[in-house]
Amino acid sequence: MTARLAVAFAWLAAVVTVVFLMAPLATVVAASFSPSPVFDLPLDGVSLRWYERIGRLDGFWPALSLSLQIAVLSTAIALVIGTLAAIAIVRGRLPGAEALATALVSPLMMPGLVLGIALLQYFRAIGFTATWSALVLAHLIVTLPYVARTMIAGLALFDFTLVEAARTLGCTYAGAILRVMVPALAPSFLTAGLFSFLASFDNYPVSIFLTDVRTKTLPIKMLQYIEEAPDPTLAALSTLILAATVILLVASDRLIGLHRMAGTAE
Amino acid sequence: MSSPDGAPHVVIRSVSKRYGPLTVLDRVDLTVARGELVTLLGPSGCGKTTLLRLVAGLATPEEGAIAIAGRDVTRVPPHRRNVGVVFQSYALFPHLTVAGNVAFGLAVRGRPREEIDRAVARTLSLVRLEHLGSRRVSALSGGQQQRVALARALAVEPEVLLFDEALSALDRNLREDMQVELRRLLREIGATAIFVTHDQDEALTMSDRIAVMNGGRIEQLADPKTLYARPATLFTLGFVGQSTRVRGTVAAAADGVVTVDTPVGRLSAMGHFAAGSPVVVAARPEHLNVVADAAGHDGGDRARNRVDGRVRAVIFQGSRSRIEVEAGGETLLAELPGRGAADLRPGDDARLVWPVAETFVYPDPEARP
Ligand SMILES: Nc1ncnc2c1ncn2[C@@H]1O[C@H](COP(=O)(O)OP(=O)(O)OP(=O)(O)O)[C@@H](O)[C@H]1O
Ligand SMILES: [Mg+2]
Repeated sequence: MTARLAVAFAWLAAVVTVVFLMAPLATVVAASFSPSPVFDLPLDGVSLRWYERIGRLDGFWPALSLSLQIAVLSTAIALVIGTLAAIAIVRGRLPGAEALATALVSPLMMPGLVLGIALLQYFRAIGFTATWSALVLAHLIVTLPYVARTMIAGLALFDFTLVEAARTLGCTYAGAILRVMVPALAPSFLTAGLFSFLASFDNYPVSIFLTDVRTKTLPIKMLQYIEEAPDPTLAALSTLILAATVILLVASDRLIGLHRMAGTAE
Repeated sequence: MSSPDGAPHVVIRSVSKRYGPLTVLDRVDLTVARGELVTLLGPSGCGKTTLLRLVAGLATPEEGAIAIAGRDVTRVPPHRRNVGVVFQSYALFPHLTVAGNVAFGLAVRGRPREEIDRAVARTLSLVRLEHLGSRRVSALSGGQQQRVALARALAVEPEVLLFDEALSALDRNLREDMQVELRRLLREIGATAIFVTHDQDEALTMSDRIAVMNGGRIEQLADPKTLYARPATLFTLGFVGQSTRVRGTVAAAADGVVTVDTPVGRLSAMGHFAAGSPVVVAARPEHLNVVADAAGHDGGDRARNRVDGRVRAVIFQGSRSRIEVEAGGETLLAELPGRGAADLRPGDDARLVWPVAETFVYPDPEARP
């Protein structure tokens, strides 16, 4: 009896949590189809007019392009550096491997604001003023922990005997890494890349300190739009971003399975 | 091409390997003939895997040389040695199918598609997995994975096959079947193989010759029967098969036979030691016969050892029984087949009788010089 009650209660809690998590997203999606120019739920019909206006937002395309560039580039660099660092930590019998692992993952726990201010002061101090490069560097710091963490977990489960087996079968060392380790770790790479890309793409608190008038990432531009004209165009844009994210996740799931991404399977 | 033809195929000459201050292999010599299966047998940490890795090229010796098929490969990287390795964990590639795994070595070598397909089909049928080519390796049983690992190593037609505890992950029945099957398969294709195990039964079952290793050295290299019947050292005696032993001092020596004073009485054994040497006298328990009536009539037979004592325990083990006999404060072990021990009881007087020809004698390792 009590057990049943407990299960019922757990179910209820789960439903409430899901509703609580999904409600804001649902609201944004609904608002994006509103025919009226106030940021509101569409009670009188459905319209796509705000979607048409996205492209005409002032400075939208440069901001989108900048955000994509930064996200792709910082993710690519983070994948290489993060994987190498993870190999060193898992394989290298380094004296300070534990500490290095903790340090690599620590920005995950650091408030974005603190990181942003710190970087701003640091870049100023060393006279580094190129906005674009500063953004890539800053986002590298944001994305690296995601990659390092995922790759350390993936490599810890990877059997390096596979590399030796490939070598005895005729592969050079580099060939063995490419033909055996990379495919075997593909799920980890995909997960790391995905999280890293998303973390960079919607980063606001770090970017805000490093952008200038002409170089603004999409999240910063979006906040600016909403201050200037709070109409549902932003809701439409958010809905599109949401949709793109979902498509990315579903595609990855199809490719390798979400359970493998989450690291819960063998 | 079924038995070793005697031509040296893998030659390991005075090889040493160190990890930091630790000498893992100490001037090891070993020659494996073409078509021969040599087993490295020894306790954990004695350097078996290390020696195998040196042959595979996965590690490099500090001293000595290794030649395969007449070519010095001491510093040749593994991908240019043409060896096949079957790992304990099998190390199958999880992202490939069974056929993909078996084809791997040939694909890396850039062989044409049809040749690879033919080789994969042939090798898979050799290990009786022809119907599983398209399976994922994770969807196989342990025994099947073991066969895939073997097929993958065989497919490249290596000069030498190396097995590192390849059967130890299988459960006992399957392992015993695989021992016999693998042995037959390797004979059939005339493979030269080095087989690492710490299971003495496996070594006795499979090998043409066994190299007993201890602390980075080979203690004895011999065929299974010789190894069992004439263990060269106390270590080999203890590691292969059962033994019963007693310490003593040589009283006299003549014609390759020594007479030794021990707590259980005067024993004779085959060996050469000077009078006064501290020694250990040993025998296989199955050579010890238990005579219940001590007042026997074979009193004068000089080809046999005799010890009178008292039965301490009779341990029934199915097809045989082990009898512990106490004499002079020592305990000797005898093994009787079938129901040979049926009328023995603890406390009975008993006489142990066994041939001098089956009695070994070794220097006592614990005696002070
Ligand atoms: N890469 C290495 N670095 C340092 N020491 C090593 C390394 N590889 C092996 N050793 C040491 O060398 C010794 C022999 O190891 P090896 O793996 O050859 O033993 P083994 O006979 O195969 O034992 P087991 O039956 O347990 O597999 C061990 O003491 C081991 O700790
Ligand atoms: Mg080993």
